[in-house]
Amino acid sequence: MYHRTLFTLFLSTILVSALPLSVQSQSDTGGNTETSGGNIALVQAVMCEDIQDQLPQNPTTVFSIERRKAICFTTFDPVPQKTVIYHHWFHRERPSAKIQLTIKPPRWSTYSSIQFREEDLGPWRVEITDSQGQIFQVLRFSITE
Amino acid sequence: MEKFISLISSLRWQDIVDIGLVSYILFRFYVLFRGTNAFRVLIGMTILWFFQQVAVSMGLIVTSWVVQGVVALGAFIIIVIFRNEIRSVLQASHLKTILWDVSPKTVITTIEIIVQSVYEMAARKCGALIVIPGKDDVDEMIQPGIPWKGEISKEMISSIFWPDNPVHDGAAIIQGDQIVQVAAILPLSRRDDLPTYYGTRHRAALGLAESTDSLVIAVSEERGDMVVALDGKLMIVRQKRKLEQILQEHMGVASKKGRELIKERLMIAAAAVFSVIFITGVWFSVSRGGDTLVTFQSPVVYMNRDPAMEIVKTSVNTVSLELEGSGALIKSIKPDQVQVKLDMSNSKMGPNSVTITRESISLPPGIVLKDVKPAVVEVDLDVLIKKELPVQIDWVGKLPDNFILTEAKIEPKTIEIIGGKRILETISTIYTEKVPLNNLDVKGTITANLALTPASLKIAPNSKEKVTIKYLTRVRNQ
Repeated sequence: MYHRTLFTLFLSTILVSALPLSVQSQSDTGGNTETSGGNIALVQAVMCEDIQDQLPQNPTTVFSIERRKAICFTTFDPVPQKTVIYHHWFHRERPSAKIQLTIKPPRWSTYSSIQFREEDLGPWRVEITDSQGQIFQVLRFSITE
Repeated sequence: MEKFISLISSLRWQDIVDIGLVSYILFRFYVLFRGTNAFRVLIGMTILWFFQQVAVSMGLIVTSWVVQGVVALGAFIIIVIFRNEIRSVLQASHLKTILWDVSPKTVITTIEIIVQSVYEMAARKCGALIVIPGKDDVDEMIQPGIPWKGEISKEMISSIFWPDNPVHDGAAIIQGDQIVQVAAILPLSRRDDLPTYYGTRHRAALGLAESTDSLVIAVSEERGDMVVALDGKLMIVRQKRKLEQILQEHMGVASKKGRELIKERLMIAAAAVFSVIFITGVWFSVSRGGDTLVTFQSPVVYMNRDPAMEIVKTSVNTVSLELEGSGALIKSIKPDQVQVKLDMSNSKMGPNSVTITRESISLPPGIVLKDVKPAVVEVDLDVLIKKELPVQIDWVGKLPDNFILTEAKIEPKTIEIIGGKRILETISTIYTEKVPLNNLDVKGTITANLALTPASLKIAPNSKEKVTIKYLTRVRNQ
């Protein structure tokens, strides 16, 4: 089923809090976990160390700063029409990045990531929201030594 | 002159009471202990103390040390050496006498010693025979006993007539304030109309009273009564006051007493005036003299705030008070005597500026407030609310390189927190205290406390204070 998914990768560099942030999106993955509101549904949301073959690798909630990046991987199904969702990255209560990601019908996988700096140690969370700011899910993780 | 008037006008009623009370205590010390050796030594010690103060002010270091040592030692010596004198003054006086009576009779005289001694011996049924000669020479009438020449005291009289004392059977002759002879043998009365219960002691007393103008006191050891023989008569005297009167008349004290009384009263009046002047001087030197400035850090206490609100933030926790007073008072200030209490009853939610007034600062008596820094305190108040917040683990440390944490379930997932509305509006997560990764096994369960920041936040009573974390690790896929 994964082999039939449409995969699109957008690579961009976003400067957030003076750190380079790479954002990538990926199309269609399977899954049936539901967390959404409205017409689109979030079926998978996970923090992981890498993406390989359009799949999240080594899902975890603790990232060593030596690994240099954390990825928030999300899959929506169904996606009735082309729309945007957001990944809000927070270091404790301080907003760090708000990344807009486009998703398309009929189902879509996408992800964003941050690169670590020394001062990024501590607890983080990513709020996955729709265009109106309604939260689908909150993922929590820590950056440690 | 203006300074003097301002000094007087600055006196509070408490200060007047203070001076009056201590003056009266000093005056009572004089009244109770005047005429005693302890009092004379006390005056000497006071002079030494003044000398030491002068030595200190002149910078005579060693002299002041030595005098200070002598004064300290002297105070101890007074209590030890004169303990009997002090005790006799206090024991001989009623509470009224100690607190109020200024009668010159507080000094124990020879007459009082005799009176007290004979009544005490009568109470113990201890026989005694005491001769107080008049103008007649008694030596021709008595058979001399043993020369004694001891200053009269209650203890000495008691010991002379103690039943086991070899001289207790004879008479003691008292002249002035001395016992001049003991174990003297008196001539016996030849009268045959005496009651049968009068024994040899009474006959001896009467015998001398018949042949001289002496006054003889006889204490019966059988009945414990006290009889005075004077002018050839025997009379039982039951009241101390009566015996005192008889002795005063016999010794010719009464006529002299009027003049002494006036002198005594003048002395007491002078002592009272001196006490007030002396204590007033000491009070001014301690509380007003030698102004010293000191800066004191005092914590601020916020009072009377609306219970529904809490203090979120204050610009300061302590204020700096510049205090003025005498060196002695400044040195004796204790931290709990200086308090800054700010009334928050009129404060509203949000930032408030509260001015520190003189009324909001409590100081020990005699200390004057010169300045407060800062004069205004900013206090941020907030309404208390409850909010359910998710809990997140604050991991620290490092897992082994090839391991990843795949699962960490936290229980309970949310905690109800009580805190200021404006603070809780900015908080979306409660974190645990730092949880180290280094000691984790492959899987397990650990507990962690919550780290509440800011500290004004509190866990609601129905919520748990700790969370349980179930975790799972595994080898990383390369």
